[in-house]
Amino acid sequence: MGNMNELKEREDKLQGMGTSMLRKEDARFIRGQGSYVDDIKMPGMLFGALVRSPYAHARIKKIDKTKALACPGVVAVLTAEDLKPVNLHWMPTVGGDVQAVLADQKVHFQLQEVAMVLASDRYAAADGAALVEVDYEELPVIVDPKKAMLPDAPVLREDIVDKKDLTHGPRTHPNHIFTWEAGNKEAADAAFNSADVVVREEILNPRVHPSPLETCGCVASFSKATGNLTVYVSTQVPHLFRTVLAMLSSIPESKIRVVGGDIGGGFGNKVPIYPGYVVATVASIVTGLPIKWVESRIENISTSSFARDYHGVGELAADKNGVIKGLRFSALADHGAFNSHVSATKFPAGLFSICTGSYAIPNAYCRVDAVFTNKAPGGVAYRCSLRVTEAIYLIERMIDVLAQKLGMDKAEIRRRNFVKKDQFPFTTPFGWTLDSGDYHTALDKVLEAVDYEGLRKEQAAKRADPNCPTLMGIGLSTFTEIVGAGPTKVCDILGIGLFDSCEIRVHPTGGVIARLGTMTQGQGHATTYSQIIATELGLPASDIVVEEGDTDKSPYGAGTWGSRSTPVSGAATAQAARKIKDKAKKIAAHLLEVSEGDLEWEIDRFKVKGNPSQFKTMKELCLVSHTGNLPAGMEQGLNAVSYYDPPNLTYPFGAYLCVVDIDKYTGETKVRRFYALDDCGTRINPMIIEGQIHGGLTEAYAVAMGQQVPFDESGNHLGNSLMDYFIPTAVETPVWETDHTVTPCPHHPIGAKGVAESPHVGGIPCFTNAVVDAFAHLGVTHMDMPHNAYRVWQTCNATGVNKR
Amino acid sequence: MNVTLDKTFPMPGSASVAWKLLQDIESVAGCMPGAKITERLDANNYKGTVSVKFGPASMSFRGEIELKQVDESKRVLRLIGKGTDSTGSSGASMDLTAQIEAVDENSSNLVGHSEVSVNGKAAAFGGRMMSSVSDQVLKQFAANFAARVQTLNAQASPAGSGTGSEGNLQQPGAASVSISATAAVADPSAAPTHLSAFGLLWGVIKDWLKSLMGSKK
Repeated sequence: MGNMNELKEREDKLQGMGTSMLRKEDARFIRGQGSYVDDIKMPGMLFGALVRSPYAHARIKKIDKTKALACPGVVAVLTAEDLKPVNLHWMPTVGGDVQAVLADQKVHFQLQEVAMVLASDRYAAADGAALVEVDYEELPVIVDPKKAMLPDAPVLREDIVDKKDLTHGPRTHPNHIFTWEAGNKEAADAAFNSADVVVREEILNPRVHPSPLETCGCVASFSKATGNLTVYVSTQVPHLFRTVLAMLSSIPESKIRVVGGDIGGGFGNKVPIYPGYVVATVASIVTGLPIKWVESRIENISTSSFARDYHGVGELAADKNGVIKGLRFSALADHGAFNSHVSATKFPAGLFSICTGSYAIPNAYCRVDAVFTNKAPGGVAYRCSLRVTEAIYLIERMIDVLAQKLGMDKAEIRRRNFVKKDQFPFTTPFGWTLDSGDYHTALDKVLEAVDYEGLRKEQAAKRADPNCPTLMGIGLSTFTEIVGAGPTKVCDILGIGLFDSCEIRVHPTGGVIARLGTMTQGQGHATTYSQIIATELGLPASDIVVEEGDTDKSPYGAGTWGSRSTPVSGAATAQAARKIKDKAKKIAAHLLEVSEGDLEWEIDRFKVKGNPSQFKTMKELCLVSHTGNLPAGMEQGLNAVSYYDPPNLTYPFGAYLCVVDIDKYTGETKVRRFYALDDCGTRINPMIIEGQIHGGLTEAYAVAMGQQVPFDESGNHLGNSLMDYFIPTAVETPVWETDHTVTPCPHHPIGAKGVAESPHVGGIPCFTNAVVDAFAHLGVTHMDMPHNAYRVWQTCNATGVNKR
Repeated sequence: MNVTLDKTFPMPGSASVAWKLLQDIESVAGCMPGAKITERLDANNYKGTVSVKFGPASMSFRGEIELKQVDESKRVLRLIGKGTDSTGSSGASMDLTAQIEAVDENSSNLVGHSEVSVNGKAAAFGGRMMSSVSDQVLKQFAANFAARVQTLNAQASPAGSGTGSEGNLQQPGAASVSISATAAVADPSAAPTHLSAFGLLWGVIKDWLKSLMGSKK
């Protein structure tokens, strides 16, 4: 027993995988000692403020800088004319289009960047920006994407009117960006033609914004003496950022350093390169002075990358038993004024074709048509891989619509269509190979935990009681996510494969520094990665330092988005650690004078099989590796770098259940219960996982119940401040109950799948399904988000449940 | 953000007096709370400013007004105003058709139809209040306008000649000078330099309360 205690003590000391180690980064955050881009102050630094258009579509007749230049503190006013000599008034986008850095002759969306005022302090810059006089001639606008391709629609993009193709296939209208299709249309059509039952629903994912706590911003600093450019920036993708700067500026990439620092939340908002960054960089190159540009909240919500805006149509065909035979999903995508939509080169509609979800659907076809409108450009993945929320929302809504049509229980219809445990790896008709899963077990565990039968009985009783003041709804969501982009054979951005990397250096006394190509924004990377290394190397996690975000220090990687850090960099970390462990084993064998085959690993040491008193701890080996007492020909040190190219994406899944009570007279919707079971494969830090799930569910609640970026008919923003835009606080946020199963990923070195986005992707349809379920007995099959009290009241009123 | 406003305000003066005043763009602007004509470019084009203060927010629009149409026989006038606020963050335009309808010797109606469009920050923040704010602005405008009509009517009546007004119509330029001069003296409560924030806020709240009461069944 003494031996068991000793083993446990040694294991506990490591705080490796599976332990809820407290987050290393929190010590500085809770003291207010984080360092964000706006904390950076440099000698001689100038501040940039952007002049933005009040019109959604207008021709610029004249820009008069005179008054602004006379404003005390103002140093310069830059317009498109000033960027023309360096050919940076337009920039190429990841989506195959170009985007105006500063408006060139025309503005295409409200609050588009027109000029940047540089001044000695932020206030002078703002005052100067207010004095730049711009004369506009208003032009007709397109706000509704359904009107973008009408024959008489105004042409928005005169600059590319002759381009027949924006790298994603032929354009059929000046406002058309691309049409993308996947699956087999003939097979799907055939399944519909012979089906017992067919359902169709128009389902909108409204335009929303990730709105992280910290807005976007940068400090660009170019040294005329050395020719070095340093950019401190709130970015999720420091290495790609550096590559893009090198492409745009023609400064050698080796002379550019991008530093991420602490990031106050990203959620996709901090993947793109925004015009403000480019202007600040150009201004710094021209002046030789550091330039700071940081967005206001209104600028953030209005201009830097919205999410969603998918106007979907879902269709399912099934037999009379509810077994789905065919799927046809389409979406009209509103991409705004420029196609600066963040997508891997081969996936203009992201991973939308994951839309068969957790179900074995034999015939499927999907299509996305993207159009220009007079709205802010972008299109980022708000806490998901691109377009996965849209896809999963459609399938999880449509399966409910089908259940209602058949009068079938919403849990039962899911069971009948799930991919079965023994069918994995399962290849969908769109070609994705779901790695592993056990959907039936997950759903059954949830139903039992909440007493699903009991809830349905309570609901039936309430429906039967005309005096009941509330409507009760039960929502289910049994989703499958697709994360961890991705295999370089299919995934690249700007031609760069989406592998990731980790470099580990072990110091003589057993301290470790690990550097990665990812970029934490609150996910707790410093903790999670060190726990992986702790378990792999048998060195305590507390002595392992993780560094990310400084391109001068860390190896190349594609950054953090799409829940890719654990699936890709977590794997690179394990691989690098294993290279070190292999070398350490050779040293141990040399010291113990046995062959490697005679050694076995035990927590923090190699010991000789059958002779447990003969061992070498990892800590001892660290020191020896820095001496001359090494196997013949071996170099000193215990260092390794690993680049991991994932063989497949990973497919975390979950089963969620939500119970809502809706006041029949006010439409107010209260979440009584939300039970979330997640399976993310191997769990590294259960506390961090739970925190990520809480955050993701809260953002799902935000989207489902209140968030939207609406516009009026002239393209005016009607909700770009926190006065209007819904950010749930502790007051509104429901209580979350979490649970899990563990189905390891078969191709990942430690079996982990990634987790942070599952609750967002799976949570949103769960809320909508609960709200719609409350009205299901009244014939309601769908209600578009957000389900705020006013909108839900409209359904109460339309169905007459509010009549006393 | 577009709002269409159709309003009729009774005027305490004859149609001819009210029509004369209506054609004097500078005077009309003087009746609009916070508005001012700063420059007359030619017979039909003016430059002007409008300042609006609403609680902590203030906006100063500068823009141009174009007199599009003057129909003597029907006493109809149409003008278009367009402007941007001084910080460049908002835009506004108004297409106004105003008509004077005779009622009797000493009273008439000012009938207005306007389409107002607001862009930018003013729409984002002011949009939801726009109908009620416009209502209040027009009420203040109508009260100022009516006060001037009454003064002019009183001046016109003792002279007692209906023909005099017709004579004036043939010399609109001369008439406008005298009107604006007298109006400025005669109307001590002449338009404030910007919208009265308190009065406006109270008016908006009062109307909102009224609409709540009215809609209750």
